[in-house]
Amino acid sequence: MTDTTRPKISARSVERVFAAETDNPVHALGPFDLDIADGEFCCIVGPSGCGKSTFLRIVAGLLRPSAGAVEVDLAGTSKTPIAMVFQDYGIYPWKTVEANVRFGLEVGGMSKRDAREKALFWLGRLGLTEFRNAYPDKLSGGMRQRVAIARALAVEPEILLMDEPFAALDAQLRQILQEELLALWEADKRTVLFITHSLEEAIVLGDRVLVMTARPGRMLESVQVPFDRPRTPELRAEPEFNEFKAGLWDHLKLQVEQYLNELRTVEEEGDER
Amino acid sequence: MTNTDPNTTVDKRGPRVLRREPGVAEIKPRAHVRNRKAAERALAIGVPAALLLLWQLAHHYEWNLLGYWKIDQRFYASPYEIVTSEKLREADFWRDVWTSTRRMLIGFALGAGAGVFIGLAMGMSRLVRAALDPLLTALYTVPKLALLPLFLTIFGFDERPRVMLIAVTVFFFVWISTMAAIMAVPEGYREAAMSFGVSRWQMFRHVLLPGSLPQIFVGLRIAAGVAVLILIGVELVIPSQGGIGSLIERGRTLLIPELTYVGIALAALLGLLFTLVVRWIGRLLIPWAPEDNAPGQG
Ligand SMILES: Nc1ncnc2c1ncn2[C@@H]1O[C@H](COP(=O)(O)OP(=O)(O)O)[C@@H](O)[C@H]1O
Ligand SMILES: [Mg+2]
Repeated sequence: MTDTTRPKISARSVERVFAAETDNPVHALGPFDLDIADGEFCCIVGPSGCGKSTFLRIVAGLLRPSAGAVEVDLAGTSKTPIAMVFQDYGIYPWKTVEANVRFGLEVGGMSKRDAREKALFWLGRLGLTEFRNAYPDKLSGGMRQRVAIARALAVEPEILLMDEPFAALDAQLRQILQEELLALWEADKRTVLFITHSLEEAIVLGDRVLVMTARPGRMLESVQVPFDRPRTPELRAEPEFNEFKAGLWDHLKLQVEQYLNELRTVEEEGDER
Repeated sequence: MTNTDPNTTVDKRGPRVLRREPGVAEIKPRAHVRNRKAAERALAIGVPAALLLLWQLAHHYEWNLLGYWKIDQRFYASPYEIVTSEKLREADFWRDVWTSTRRMLIGFALGAGAGVFIGLAMGMSRLVRAALDPLLTALYTVPKLALLPLFLTIFGFDERPRVMLIAVTVFFFVWISTMAAIMAVPEGYREAAMSFGVSRWQMFRHVLLPGSLPQIFVGLRIAAGVAVLILIGVELVIPSQGGIGSLIERGRTLLIPELTYVGIALAALLGLLFTLVVRWIGRLLIPWAPEDNAPGQG
């Protein structure tokens, strides 16, 4: 067993610079520090371009940090310990719904029969059974995103990384999928790192909401969400919800302004030199 | 973590820690890129140089490859011999190079022009497609060299049969890739343009042409290589009016192997330069496409 006091994911002074070999490097992220506990549902919010996707890709191992390090503590309960759901790209138009879901299992070495059985189980849980032989092209955006979620969950990862998975969906569908995701998470409480640019979505879903600054993204605030589980998206109709959101929002505005002021003075100092 | 499904796949490596850390590329980005480029350049020059050296050695020691393929100095020229050959200095091969280049350029221009034109027309119009597709598809499979006797009968023994053969070959490559490129322009781009009420010409100018140019250039690059292939082939079959192919053949009949080697090297060089030029033009015309202007290939 892994040490329960150790964080599942811990990031220490993580930074990422793009085009570092040129004269115009882009400092996309950090230094960024973060600890995520086992089984925690953690939401990251931040302005567009602040390095959220960059951080997620580093955790996933798709990209290396320029400095610092991320440690991911694995229990060894899954062959594919980290699975990712992207905003749009990711499910293959040349594979049927079922083949898409089987993909992660088959490349993980599962036999076709077992993979099929497991894929059908997850298709059922996401309400996709009747579409299993369709190509993604024929599906609506919400259905396609369900396929992506089913594909990620089918490998039973220890950690689920989601990069603005619902950003392209309309408000109603978004709400439905949030509800489904909450129910799925309640069932087996995986560690989830969920990126969104909606503060509301972050509060509905997360145990904790992390707010990042503008680029280069740093931690601005980390707030525990006080609402009981199991939650439903109807939570947002509650007065407490709106109070919490408004409080967080005011707090954030202040922080963002402070941050901008700091930036301004730094720039002025730079100009004086 | 509890798993509801019995069919779990457990990682046999057990508990462990994954570390995501900077690698060499992140710690010393400038040096890394510099080293990689230097290594690439060294390989690009080193591999041909090493092969030349091997060739020279094989020639010098008359190696017997695999026990039955002997490098006999009478039939094989060594790189050193070729470079220092007196006979080569006398042979006036630049005329042949120019003859071949001219044939290739004219043939390519004709074929590519017609290919792009017909390809665009067929890609944009269902009717034109219906009219020409079966015919062209059938002709596409005919080996183009088989048309040579026909062209010789029609045009006689002047430049035209050679140029036409190159043009026809190039045409088919460019036609197919252009038509496919136009039809592959995503529906979303077309609809966005239609919502602004574009005319047919505007649709072509603002959406279909730029949207398909990267693929068209993939076709043009392939066609450029094939043009050299056909050119040398034709010149070998009818070597009477000069060209690099005829140079290669002269080396054999006049017993000057150096000439044959030089001819082969020149053909390779001509093809290389020509595809590079086509690629360079592509880069100028398609600044938005990734490096190799071949989307979906990398
Ligand atoms: N491969 C890359 N090369 C250069 N710049 C990049 C690359 N990937 C991301 N960036 C830049 O890094 C910044 C952060 O990007 P990203 O992590 O995608 O932001 P977010 O997901 O928060 O919107 C952006 O300014 C983006 O332009
Ligand atoms: Mg992003």
